[in-house]
Amino acid sequence: MKKTLALILALIMLVSMTACRTTIDPAQANKLTVWHDKEDAVIEALESYLKTAVPDVEIVFEKKTSLTDSLKLVGNDPSAAPDLFIFAHDKVGVFAEMGILAPVKDLLAADALEHYLPMTVEAGTYQDTLYQLPLYFETLLFMYNRRYMQDDEVPVTTDGLLAYMQKNTGRGRYGFVEQHSTAYYSAAWIHGFGGSIIDGSGTPFPDAKAVKDALEYHLKFVALMPGETEYNTVNTLFLEGKADATIGGPWMVPSARAAEINLGIAAMPTVDATGKALAPYSGVQGLHVLKYAAEHKSEAVKKLCAALTDPAIGIDLALASGCAPANALCYDDERVKNDELVQAMRATAEIAVPMPNIPEMDVMWTVVGNLLTDVNLSGKGIDDSFDAALKQAEQLIDAMK
Amino acid sequence: MSKKLKEGIGLTALNIFFIVLCFVTLIPILYAVSVSLNGQNSLLSSDFSFIPKDFTLDHYKEVIFGEDILTWFCNTVFLAAVTVSLSLIFAVPAAYCFSRRHFPGRKAILKCLVLLNSFPAILSMFAIYRLLRPMGLVNTRVGLILVYTGTMAVFSLWNTKGYFDTIPTEIEEAARMDGATDLQVVLRIVLPLAKPSIITTALQVLIYVWNEYIYATTFMTGEDKYTLAAGLNALQATEMTGSWPVFAAASITVSLPVLVIFFMCQKYMTSGLTAGGVKG
Amino acid sequence: MKNRKKDTLLSYLWSTPSLILIALMVVFPILYTGYISLTNMNVYHWFDFTIVGMENYIRALFVFDSGFLSALIATVIWTAVNMVLQLIIAFVLVTLLNVQKLKLRKLYKTLLMFPWAMPGYVSILLWKTGMFNTQFGLLNQWMEKLGQDAVRWLSSDVSAFICCTVVNLWLALPFMIMIMDGAMQSIDRSYYESALLDGASWLDRTRYITVPAITPIIAPAVIITVFTTFKQFDVVYLLTQQAGAKTGSGFHTILTYAYENAFITNNYGYSSAISIIIFILLLVFSARYQMREERDR
Repeated sequence: MKKTLALILALIMLVSMTACRTTIDPAQANKLTVWHDKEDAVIEALESYLKTAVPDVEIVFEKKTSLTDSLKLVGNDPSAAPDLFIFAHDKVGVFAEMGILAPVKDLLAADALEHYLPMTVEAGTYQDTLYQLPLYFETLLFMYNRRYMQDDEVPVTTDGLLAYMQKNTGRGRYGFVEQHSTAYYSAAWIHGFGGSIIDGSGTPFPDAKAVKDALEYHLKFVALMPGETEYNTVNTLFLEGKADATIGGPWMVPSARAAEINLGIAAMPTVDATGKALAPYSGVQGLHVLKYAAEHKSEAVKKLCAALTDPAIGIDLALASGCAPANALCYDDERVKNDELVQAMRATAEIAVPMPNIPEMDVMWTVVGNLLTDVNLSGKGIDDSFDAALKQAEQLIDAMK
Repeated sequence: MSKKLKEGIGLTALNIFFIVLCFVTLIPILYAVSVSLNGQNSLLSSDFSFIPKDFTLDHYKEVIFGEDILTWFCNTVFLAAVTVSLSLIFAVPAAYCFSRRHFPGRKAILKCLVLLNSFPAILSMFAIYRLLRPMGLVNTRVGLILVYTGTMAVFSLWNTKGYFDTIPTEIEEAARMDGATDLQVVLRIVLPLAKPSIITTALQVLIYVWNEYIYATTFMTGEDKYTLAAGLNALQATEMTGSWPVFAAASITVSLPVLVIFFMCQKYMTSGLTAGGVKG
Repeated sequence: MKNRKKDTLLSYLWSTPSLILIALMVVFPILYTGYISLTNMNVYHWFDFTIVGMENYIRALFVFDSGFLSALIATVIWTAVNMVLQLIIAFVLVTLLNVQKLKLRKLYKTLLMFPWAMPGYVSILLWKTGMFNTQFGLLNQWMEKLGQDAVRWLSSDVSAFICCTVVNLWLALPFMIMIMDGAMQSIDRSYYESALLDGASWLDRTRYITVPAITPIIAPAVIITVFTTFKQFDVVYLLTQQAGAKTGSGFHTILTYAYENAFITNNYGYSSAISIIIFILLLVFSARYQMREERDR
């Protein structure tokens, strides 16, 4: 009995040793592996388009949950790394500095990016080199529930928003909710006051006064919002009709429609003190090419890139999942023109600030998160919290090198 | 009051205590169950009740038929079975030697093994990757099995050794007098006596493999190679995608096999000692 | 004499596979981290890193400021509180579960194991959103029914500490119960029978039979749990410190603190130095403890 068991175990091990080892054949120059972490709808649209657009290249999309961490591990190793990956532009700096990204301009026709929205190309450019072929972009939008907020009630300025909130908040209802203590969302306020989280040269909070002003002003809004900054709470409040308006990403739209909310999308309110609109970060999703693939599979990669610059795929993506295409030509399409959501993002793209793509930004998410929670949730003083955050930011940036 | 009545009341009180305790313990899980049976796509709701209002089994159907859960299940079972067997095959002889033989270096090694636990393994992934890549074991199950067995090896060795220490050596000596070999002593006498410890060790290793997702998602590429925990992690509703009820249903589905195994193992958890080891 | 030598050789032989695995998967990462800590491996020198000597350690000392010190103290308190509660609760429950006539014991045990059967991050997510959420969490829904104000459970240091402890106990108790139960099963019933004949009380029996009998058996598991509790990251980070979902609590364990102040920099050399320093710190702790143990003996 024991012997048979041991034998079976030995067999299992033997089988696993031989059968499960998957070796990747490096000679497959016509097969491209693309890592991504996107929704199924986006990938399905890409897959079906590429099947006809580049029939002679085998393109495999692999969903990778911890994409950036995995890439940091595998780097350029052809046996474990993908050939390309689709991700937001904000890690371009990190991966370019690591030395695993290939510049994409060399892989494209000279005029391929002519009609792209400037913001999308700027986003993927790190130290004057473009490392990302933009596909589509996302920005935050001002959304409201028409059942509670009429079109003519939509506040044009932030003071108007505050007045609306004061009037409509209380007894389990909220006039307006957002993820108030999360860096990604608060950036809109900081930009609205003319400040920024980090500048192109890696200096944190270049305009201290703007940041402090934004924090102080924003505090009035926080007082009228729930003491929770996390996505699910804010999302659910809006979807359950307990909040009249919110700032959220396009990814909220499908669930809002499913919850049968009469959804309105409006322009971001302007800050009274500065006359500037709340300017959210934008994220450009695009294709990154790893150096190894650019060198050894350049023909296949070039074909893929050429196919992806065609407006047709942008239109497909916009229709499939409400993405705002990076290629301006896509907006000439009648169906895209009529898509309220895509058009709203296109309009916001004019004011939106692409997320910084320098490596230093990586630590700023945490620093700003700490600053916001200190001020908004722990009730610490703005000046002290700001000084502490600045110190932490400088220390962390220094520690990166 | 008769003794019997007193005992009866005590027993009833105890049962009530445990029923309440189980209920309280399971509240977060009942929460997940309720979410998974509810039609609406929300993890949160302002008027929550344990009995779903919009009852549906669709999410479970989606989990079982819609995702590759069967593939993931097979992958996990395979990994778990091999890892548990290997852990025991490696740990038991070593633990026996460490418990019974007084070879030089024994104490020092044992001490070092405990101290190894002091290392914050948060950055270990990188080193392990560097180790597996030259061996061609990244993105293979053998690699994962190595990682899992290695990670649990200190625990397996230590836990079984601790139990072996408590088994009186007299029985073994008696068996040796009768001409039993070392192997026979371990297989026929020590292992049956150490059953509870072997099973707790095996269960702990099993649950580790069952629930581990960081190595599984980082080292393995392609959904067909996912384990249940890795698949579940991919299903996890992020800001952009995902459905909470499906995620909740998947969480429950993933946990159930472990509970069944635990339930079945319980009858082996009682030691061989009382079943006639020493006394006889 | 010859036999002795053969025995020793055989012992080494039998232990080798296990020890090799440990060397590969546990010792090697430590050595590798030690090596990386001496280099300048970071985003700017990912593949072309060079040895820079002790530079990272010198810089690391800056992280060990007052914030680190309070995180260290909090971690020690956290470990002590969690371990004491874990041992007491597990002991009481196991004792009750082993009451002879309790017929449904298997069912209870299995149900109590449920938290263990679920992946940790799922459980933590359930607690965070299902229980502690200020708007929708069950706790606040109950508070509301009782006519109380909503409480922000995770936002102040002390209440965040308590909440994290509850979740950690919830996650860790099943394992402790199982280990203790296994140990309790191994005690020869005849000891109790003779003790009962001698008229020993429950307390006496616990003190003189149960505890001494289970201590050596559960010791390895308990020691390993002490280390995991000390190094706890997931519970504290996911409940209170996760980027984008911070709650405003200042409760940090050394690992969450090191994460926020070093690991996020993507500077592997520097982060490795911090890891090694934490490692040495814990080594000193446990070595001191061991020495005291041996002196007491």
